[in-house]
Amino acid sequence: MAILEALLNPAYLDLFYFTALGVLFSCLISFLPALHIYNVIGIFLLVILKFEATMAPMQLIALCIGMIVGYSILNTVPATYFGPGDESMSYYILPSAAWVAKGRGFESILLTGVGAVGGIIMLAVLAPAFLWFMPGLKTITSPHMFWILGAVISYMVLSEWPKGISQSESCWENFLEGWKFLGVGIATFLLSGLLGFIVMAKTLVPIEFAFQSITPVFVGLFAIPWLITNIINIGQIPKQHDPESIELDWGLVCRGTFGGFLGGFFAAYVPIVTAGVGGLMAGHATAQRDGRLFVMSYGTCKTVYYVGSFLLFFIPGLSLTRGGLAWIVTPVVSVLTLKEYALFVALMLFAAGMAYMMLAPFTRMCIWIVEKIAYFWVSVIALIIVIPAVFVFTSWGGLAIMTVSTGIGLLPVMFQARRMNLMGVLLLPVCINMAGYGNDVMRFLGLI
Amino acid sequence: MKGFTHFISGIAVASFFPQAVHMASQEQSFILCLGGIFGIMPDTLDFKFAKYFHKSDFEIRPDPNNLDARVIAETVANAIRKAEKEGRGTVQLHTMQLGSNLWRSYTLAFDSATSEVVVDIGPEVDTGQVPFEGTELKDPEKAHARVKVESQFFQQFDKKSQIAIMTGPCFEFVKRDEGKIEIVFLPWHRTWSHSFTLGMLIALLVGIFTFFTVPEGPNPELYSIPRWLLYPLIILFGSMVHIIEDSTGFMGNNLFYPFTKDRTNGLGLMSAAEAIPNFLFVWTSIICILYNLDRFRWAPGDTPPGIENPATYFFWFYAIPVAVMAYFFFKGKKAKEAKEPKEKGRPADFDAATSVERETDASVI
Repeated sequence: MAILEALLNPAYLDLFYFTALGVLFSCLISFLPALHIYNVIGIFLLVILKFEATMAPMQLIALCIGMIVGYSILNTVPATYFGPGDESMSYYILPSAAWVAKGRGFESILLTGVGAVGGIIMLAVLAPAFLWFMPGLKTITSPHMFWILGAVISYMVLSEWPKGISQSESCWENFLEGWKFLGVGIATFLLSGLLGFIVMAKTLVPIEFAFQSITPVFVGLFAIPWLITNIINIGQIPKQHDPESIELDWGLVCRGTFGGFLGGFFAAYVPIVTAGVGGLMAGHATAQRDGRLFVMSYGTCKTVYYVGSFLLFFIPGLSLTRGGLAWIVTPVVSVLTLKEYALFVALMLFAAGMAYMMLAPFTRMCIWIVEKIAYFWVSVIALIIVIPAVFVFTSWGGLAIMTVSTGIGLLPVMFQARRMNLMGVLLLPVCINMAGYGNDVMRFLGLI
Repeated sequence: MKGFTHFISGIAVASFFPQAVHMASQEQSFILCLGGIFGIMPDTLDFKFAKYFHKSDFEIRPDPNNLDARVIAETVANAIRKAEKEGRGTVQLHTMQLGSNLWRSYTLAFDSATSEVVVDIGPEVDTGQVPFEGTELKDPEKAHARVKVESQFFQQFDKKSQIAIMTGPCFEFVKRDEGKIEIVFLPWHRTWSHSFTLGMLIALLVGIFTFFTVPEGPNPELYSIPRWLLYPLIILFGSMVHIIEDSTGFMGNNLFYPFTKDRTNGLGLMSAAEAIPNFLFVWTSIICILYNLDRFRWAPGDTPPGIENPATYFFWFYAIPVAVMAYFFFKGKKAKEAKEPKEKGRPADFDAATSVERETDASVI
């Protein structure tokens, strides 16, 4: 009875209103081409709207829940048709582009949506269990986080296999052809890691926009290379099929959701690890091979990563701040109790339902746009919006960082290496810093 | 097994050394990663090095403008004939790339019932191996060929090899007792790199190096193994666990290279590409790592445990998930068996589902 009274308490209706508003906002945010969600939310909440000054803390949190859940589900649509904004999206986009090229982009988005809703349901079902085992997990892993990141880096580098298809009679020629791809992968990782050290130690971004210092890096590494590739390579996309139903069975849903949940949870829990990296590891751990399974599993992974990292922040007494959104709301949250945690779960489910219902019309709208306007021009317009946006928020210094990042970001595109290696920009400096060797490296690089 | 399975198993093995866990938590050492790196090392050696330096007696580079299945089948048959005469023969089949995302596919099969090499030229496919309709060869004489050889041959699995994208497979033919020819898939894989001998040799070299360079750490009285010995032991056990895991599959390893010449067959309990066996090893490793990190935590008297009751931990987080995995694994196996035809002595069905995949993809094998 007490639960029912709490649920039907009209005082909480405003939270549902703000959650719904957040989902609607997320449509708009996910449309902004090739920008990372946390930066966009930061700009919206703190700089433009100054929401934290005018809203109650729980209302702000409800708005954020709506935005992050909506974004994690709806962002797949513009990312599929207009380009990815971060590494988590890049991982999905390459297979998804193949579906788009066959006119099956709609189907891939719906599969991703099913996976995303599956991930939200798993988060809700496991929410009570998190209260039980997360404190223990945190106690065990806290002193070991740096080498866990080191293991992630090692696996990322070691698990990239040669792609060379040289059929020369000379062994060495074949060897060098195969290693060309591996070499570019390793070089990309090291260069982006070096950039990460420089940006973290001596950023060129003005101090008043310090919280946006990573934006030009991400835009340069992921967004602009993608847009440039689109402008150079891709003509008109084929007519997209609007399916009446999608081929799916419960076995596929369970396998996809389970594998994606593992990857998403790992990414949400371990700092700096993104959905792309988590998805890769979970995909290998569960030996995924089916194309539909990959797409759906990715939907789960991405949603669990974005929403799960925010959910972990609300576990009472755990103080686990993971993901940019948790850091953004930290100043407005004083005490977290079971009530806030339960409300989070309820609002998360509400937002997921709403976002899923918007998925099909939102996809049709995007398809309508790309069918009316040539893909080339969509990419050109996106590029025209992105570059001034970076300038507005990070000035000339940000543009300089973005230019260097773009050069590094183009390496895997040109040599068909893994884009995931670009995550070295965060993984390498954070891992080294957590292990306590950061100052030595920066001194060696002449940064301090 | 998947590379990730080997990697995390290597870390799990390393976590069984209390000194390594203490070094990680107290001295910010990455020593536990060493187990993972050497866990995946045998496949790294094969797919990033050995593959390129293996020389085949015959190489098949089909001409996309003049396709003839008989030419391919004859070349494979010649490799088998060489094995009949000289004991061994190898053949490398190459793919046909027609465009940046366009390939011509073909298949190779060995019909042991009729001692024939069977080649079919397939349609054009994209890199996702999706065929393009209407691109099949029109001339049946050129599209299909069966070439008979003298000797009987045998292999563990009658399964077609699809040669379509990236790198094609390599086969070795080895004359065995009674003159039968054994067909060995990827002869450069799981040989010297997957041997106990190499693991021990690397451990010995690293041991000599660490003996002279690694000083004794703090509190040596707590440990039964000196610190310099920790590194070679983690390397040795990391690579051993890879070999043991691979032995549960079909392909097996060459355990005592160069003292043994050939790969021994695996136990055939599971296939490298199967989801549940892979995940079983991964989950077991995760459970072991967490348990070891907790029980070997520094100053256990002063810091509370993360796992308060090991029995509860193993019951909820290991016994129940393993029971669920076992249920689905055996259910899947039963369903697969029910689909297979019952009659014995049937002709080889190359398209039937088998428990092994003919893969050249490094991430699968």
